[in-house]
Order: sequence, then structure tokens, then C-alpha cells
Amino acid sequence: MARSEPLTVLAVCGVGMGTSLILRMTAEGALSSLGVPAKVENTDVSTARGMTADVVIGQGMHVGELQDMAPVVLTVDDFLDQDGLASSLREALTTQGWI
Amino acid sequence: MDAVQSVLVWIATNVFGQVAILIGLITLLGLILQRKPVEDVVAGALRAVLGIIILFVGVDLFTGGLADFQAIVSSAVGLDPPAAANTLDGFLGSHGGTVALIITVGFLIHMVLVAVFPAARYVYLTGHLMFWVSVVITACLVQVFGDLPQLTLVIVGSILIACYWTLQPMWIAPFMRKVTGRDEFALGHTTSVLALVTAVAARPLGDPEKHSTEKLKMPRQLSFFKDVNVSTALVIGLILIVSMLFADGSVVREAADNYEEGISEWTWGVIAAFRFAAGIAILLFGVRMFLGEIVPAFKGVSDKLVPGSRPALDIPTVFPMAPTAVMLGFVSSTAVFLALLGVFAGFGWFTLVPPMIMLFFGGGAGGVFGNAVAGWRGAVFGGALNGVLLAVGQAVTWSWLSDTAPELSTLADPDWYMIMAVLIGIGHLTGPLGGLGVWSVAVVFGLLTLVVLTWLSFFTPAKLAQRAETRSASEPTEDDAPPTERDGDTADKGEDSGTSRTE
Repeated sequence: MARSEPLTVLAVCGVGMGTSLILRMTAEGALSSLGVPAKVENTDVSTARGMTADVVIGQGMHVGELQDMAPVVLTVDDFLDQDGLASSLREALTTQGWI
Repeated sequence: MDAVQSVLVWIATNVFGQVAILIGLITLLGLILQRKPVEDVVAGALRAVLGIIILFVGVDLFTGGLADFQAIVSSAVGLDPPAAANTLDGFLGSHGGTVALIITVGFLIHMVLVAVFPAARYVYLTGHLMFWVSVVITACLVQVFGDLPQLTLVIVGSILIACYWTLQPMWIAPFMRKVTGRDEFALGHTTSVLALVTAVAARPLGDPEKHSTEKLKMPRQLSFFKDVNVSTALVIGLILIVSMLFADGSVVREAADNYEEGISEWTWGVIAAFRFAAGIAILLFGVRMFLGEIVPAFKGVSDKLVPGSRPALDIPTVFPMAPTAVMLGFVSSTAVFLALLGVFAGFGWFTLVPPMIMLFFGGGAGGVFGNAVAGWRGAVFGGALNGVLLAVGQAVTWSWLSDTAPELSTLADPDWYMIMAVLIGIGHLTGPLGGLGVWSVAVVFGLLTLVVLTWLSFFTPAKLAQRAETRSASEPTEDDAPPTERDGDTADKGEDSGTSRTE
């Protein structure tokens, strides 16, 4: 069953300005290619801890500490790989029953 | 005529002189150009304005905390705190609008350079550094040439920043290919000089395969240091508390009383360290808010104007290649910086501030590039070199910018120091030229960049020329070429994200 509300997605990096913003653009592209309505934000690790989200995306070294904050936590090594991110998102969202 | 003039003066003061208003308008234009729905355009422009206002609040808190920190550490080691005639807060207030215009005009010139010269194929997209380096260039120009007309500052500053954005990803590109094994994105970051020097100088230290950092295991306890908010509060707090033990009691009392009459000095010390870290966090939050709106617009423009160009991205994009090297570089850069802090104090030089963010990202850069050529010894070397550059850089450059924004020297990466040294050095050389001095700087660097790009694009041996031609075609032909599917990848992405590409 698809969700009625747009997904909230957090792109996380060390300071929340550079790589997480690039990741946000990649994630927006990936989600729109999947046809999933979503609101993607970028932020730093500290701030992310005080937020809620359906999906958290970031480098392994950062999201390692964010495992509990969202149902779906994805690790990304390649910040520009939109197709790769789209396929791991599809798999994770399907597991959750969101698409 | 008077009416026209007063309108122009009004616009200069209230639009081009106000960074918040100007950034709001630039964002508005960027979002309209991307054809975003009207609600996104309005919300985005408002967020950008709010981001600038928040940035100013953070800078205010940061500079206040810095002054207290320096006063107490100076007193503890028996020195005078570093003096300055102006602050970053005041400088951004008077020249923030100029900085915003330099970013915008500079980016357009950069786009033209990338579009015209086949060798220049990287589009600089690291937004926060686009902002800060523009501040550094503006501060250097004002410091050396005095308060010039805004138009002069914008033209000269835009040319200089466009040259830097175009050339920086190119000089680090050969080593980036070594680190990442591919060529679809470049490094756009102000640790580039450090990375370059490390990649060259660390080579004899070891073997990248045999001594690879990724065969080491780092203690898990170090992991919380990756959160720069936490490590800033902790390290600043420790240094402050230790300094308070040795500082003149009246200096500490005065700082505490300024915060709240009658508060215990030790309570104040703890709170002051957290306020310092909070100031930096707020400052970064503000930058994040307006970048989140502007950078996608810049990317949209570059995808349209220069199809097939590759982005130059922030340093953490290389961190996944060697996460252990990042931690190793960070630890060694912090250790070296703290050791130098003690040594410099002993010599009575300067009160240094451990810049945890720059120690982490610069140390990480040194670690990754050092590891790529020489394994863990290279990583330790790269981190240590970052610590040395940051410590010496702070000690030397604070007084250089004392009439404009000296705090920049505590927020700086190695490239900032290089830019300061070059611009201020040349400024002093061209001083005798009077009003022509500032123009000569732009002409010299503009021409130099054009010559380098022309030579690389059109006159180098066949191999390079061929590489340039393949930019918009299929695949690169370098020896260390990335896997062939990469170029196809990038092109696909462009279409997916809805940007029109005409290959």
C-alpha cells in the first residue's frame, strides 16, 4: 500500500552544507525517478539527531550513529550515483510497504 | 537628475548594500529560472533571507566567544590578546552585498571559462566555500587597497574567484583520479593545496598497498569526534578551563561579569565554551539555509549552459575511499595543532584557536591523499601537515586582515592562507600604482588563467587535446581512465533529474 503523505528524507553529512546538499539533489532525482513524492532536507549529524524522518541517507561514518532514528537508514558511498540510490531506495521502500 | 541619482543611491544602499535582501533576490531569480512552482519560489527566497540573518547572529556569537577565549588564553601565557580594528561581523555588515554579487558574477564568469576552454571542465559547486572564499578575497582587496567603489570590488573579485574556481579542481585532478579511480567528479575544496603537497611529498614514506590505512582498526571511542559540534565544545572547553587556572583573575572575572553578574567563573567557563561551539553551529546553520536554495539553482544553470561538465564537490566525497585514513589524519592534525599551540605560546607569539572543523576536514583530506600515495604513514603526514599549516596560518594572517575581518584566519583552510598571502603580497607590490593597483591584480590573474587554459586546451601534446575532445563525447582516454560506463552514467543522470542536455 502506498503512503498518502510525502516521504520525509534526510541527507546527512558532517557539517550539513556540502556533501549532504549534493546528496539531497541526487536523492531528489532518484525519488522522482521512482515516482515517490518526498520532501528531502540536508543537515549535519548533530541536528539530525533532533529530527524525525522516514529515511536517512548518508556516509557510513555518519549514519552509523543514526541507525535508530528512522525506519530506513541507507549508506551511500557515491554521492552522484542516482541510479544506484534509486535501486536501494526502491528495495528499502518496498520492504517497508511504502511503494 | 537629482531624482535619478537619489534613486540609484537608495538602491545601492538598500539592495546592493544589504546582503540579506540581495541573496533573497538572487535566490528568487534562481528559483524562477528553474521554473519552480510559485510556492517553492516564495518559500525558497524567504528561507535564503532567513539563512543570512541567522548567519549574522551566529557570527556575532562566534566573534564574541573568540574574543573571550583569546583574552583568557593570552592572560594565562602572559601575552596581549591579538588586536584588530574590525570584526567579521562588521565587515559582513558593510561588504556582505559585495560578497553576494562576487559569488553570482564570479560563477557566471567561471561558467564561461568552463564552456570556452576544453581543459577547464569542472564546475565548482561547493557552496559554503564559494561564500567564504568570496569573503576572503573581498577582505584582502579592501585591506590592501582601501575601501574601493563596490563596482570595482565586484569586477576584480569576480575575476579572481572565477580563476580560482576554474583552476583549483584542475590542479588536484590527477591526484583525485588516483584517490577515487574515476573522473566523473572533481574536488572543489579549499584544502586542495594541502592535498596536493601531501600527495607529492608523502610519496617516499611508504607503499599505498602494503601500508594501507584500511588494514588498520581505529578505536571506536574516537568516533564521537567526527561530530564537529561536539569536538569543538570539548576541545575549546578543555583549553579554556585549563587557561583559567593560570589566567589573571580579574580578566576571567570581567568576562564572567559581562555574561552575568555574580556567576561563578567556572560555570561561566563551561557555558562560554558551549556558546562558542553554538556560535559556529548557528553560523553554519545559516549558511546551510541559503545554500540549500542557491546551489541547486547554480547547478541547474551550469547543466544548461555547459552540458557534459563535471561537478567539483566538497571534500567528504572522497572520505568513503578511506574512512580510517580520515580518522588518522584528523587525529594527527589535531595533535600537531595542539602541540604547536603550546610551543607558540611558549615563544609568546599568538593565541591560537583550535578550529575543529578545519582540523577534521583538512586532516581528513591529508589522510586520504597521503594514504593514496604512501599508506598510513602518508595519512599521518598529511594530517600533521594540515595541523602545521593551520597553526602557522593563524599566527601569521590574523594581523594581515586586522582592518577587515581577522576572524577569517581562524576559520581558514590552507587555500585561504595561500589566497591571502598571494593577494596581500601582490597588493603591497602594486601599491605604488595607486588606483590602478587593484585592476592590475585582476588583469594579471585573469591573463595568467587564460594563458594556462589556452595552453592546456589547445597547445599541449595530442594526448591532452584528445582527452579534452572526449569531454562531451564518449569516454576519457587517460591511462588511469575510469571504467567506461561512467560517462554514460552522468549523462543519464542529467536526463533523470529533468535538466535538458543537448549532447
